[in-house]
Amino acid sequence: MAAGPGDRNSGPAASVRFFCTAGRGLEPFLMREVRVRLQAKQVEYVSGKVFFTTCSDLNMLKKLKSAERLFLLIKKQFPFNVSSVNKGKICNEMQRLINDDPESWLNTISIWKNLLELDAKKKRLSQRDANLLKRKMGENDTVITKKLKAEQMQKTQENREYQLEKQAEEETLAQGNFLTSREKLQLEECQNEAAEAAGTPSQNDLTFRVSCRCSGAVAKTFSAQEVGRIIGIALMKQFGWKADLRDPDVEIFIHLNDIYSVVGIPVFRAPLASRAYIRTAGLRSTVAWAMASVAEIKAGALVLDPMCGLGTILLEAAKEWPDAHYVGADVSDAQLRGARDNLKAAGLEDKIALLQVSVVELPLPSESVDVIISDIPFGKKFKLGKDIKSILREMERWESGAQKDELSQDHTATTTQQSSHRRTVQ
Amino acid sequence: MKLLTHNFLSSHVKGVGPRGFPLRLQASEVRIMPVEFNPDFVARMIPKLSLGEVPTEPIQGYEQNEDFLRTMHHILLEVEVMEGTLQCPESGRVFPITRGIPNMLLSDEQTEA
Repeated sequence: MAAGPGDRNSGPAASVRFFCTAGRGLEPFLMREVRVRLQAKQVEYVSGKVFFTTCSDLNMLKKLKSAERLFLLIKKQFPFNVSSVNKGKICNEMQRLINDDPESWLNTISIWKNLLELDAKKKRLSQRDANLLKRKMGENDTVITKKLKAEQMQKTQENREYQLEKQAEEETLAQGNFLTSREKLQLEECQNEAAEAAGTPSQNDLTFRVSCRCSGAVAKTFSAQEVGRIIGIALMKQFGWKADLRDPDVEIFIHLNDIYSVVGIPVFRAPLASRAYIRTAGLRSTVAWAMASVAEIKAGALVLDPMCGLGTILLEAAKEWPDAHYVGADVSDAQLRGARDNLKAAGLEDKIALLQVSVVELPLPSESVDVIISDIPFGKKFKLGKDIKSILREMERWESGAQKDELSQDHTATTTQQSSHRRTVQ
Repeated sequence: MKLLTHNFLSSHVKGVGPRGFPLRLQASEVRIMPVEFNPDFVARMIPKLSLGEVPTEPIQGYEQNEDFLRTMHHILLEVEVMEGTLQCPESGRVFPITRGIPNMLLSDEQTEA
């Protein structure tokens, strides 16, 4: 079902069905995002999860901004009927998740493996291309040997692959004068594929762990651990896999509730919601991105967050819509210090300016700002010095008639236009 | 603080109004930070700038003049004032710039969160 792993320029990859978990209220954003970013088809959602089909590779999937975690779908079916039946019978039904259709499990596992291998291969190939280019720029062989050795020392790769590549390079260089650089590349590729075939676990010695979430009626009869054990034993019996709770090859995720029974494999270890480019998070990154997406930031816009805190909203916005000028303002020294660190860590200092000013005394001329986005402080952690009415009045003075979004007390985003017409955006 | 940002700031001292622009800039430490040149972005920013005593209509075809755009790019985006002051031209009130961030709080209270 999956695309051939050997070709660099393989034809269109096969369509694969995924699902993402999403924070409540963010499902519509995620549905739109998968359609736009991944050209996804068959997009549907059920409270907290969005299901979709796409041919995109891991690089594109990694870019999803409004999702919590991404999974390969193994099974989605009706919830277990727990009303009157005895425990043993439901236990059997759970085992049938696996035993009725072992094919779909094995299929999904091999899709998962192919996705990861393809991704690892692309990374290796792009590194090798970079090396080749350096070689072509007129260096002689002895210099190349030393340079390659030095470069390899700096590369971070899995130990086994690193050792084999090193051997491969040294061997090819020994024959160096006889091979052209193109032939060297082909030799390396063959040796790497052999390494991969040896290194990847076969279907039979896969280690796994079951991660289970139960809610609703099922949770009253079964604990998550019980379900995990039932499924785990069934998997061991059916496929001969071994359980490893600490560092398994693959994680099996099961979610049982009153609406559905869903089984999947998480694609990445870290949740998509935890961004590599944000050092200290303030507002949840998924919500920040969603707010920025509602704002419809156009190229050349002046975007202001008058209570920016650690700058999360501006970071998400500047990353996705880089062709605007972003300004963050806050009264607090500590917050601005955190924001400055965040900007530096994300490499976005050029796009986002910081000011230490108060939201009711912003040094901006009237009608100068195109977009205002803010997570207004409320409640116990942060206090609002002035009342919200005077703040909104000030905001209306400097915004130029375009959009502004605010996150108010109950976390519903509000879009306000200059005619002060209120619409709630979920 | 970049000069592009400075161009958007206007004094908020009470009673000053539009006479609060532009804030007088005195820099004691300036850094030049290379920034990737994006001609489209610079071209879009130019009509937003308040350039004082210049003709209101920019010269025809400035969007295509790469030399001009590169110069504006350098001035607006690559010059970073790290330390200095901003002064309200009308009231004379002075605001410090520290580590690239202007502090323009009018009252002395700062919320430490």
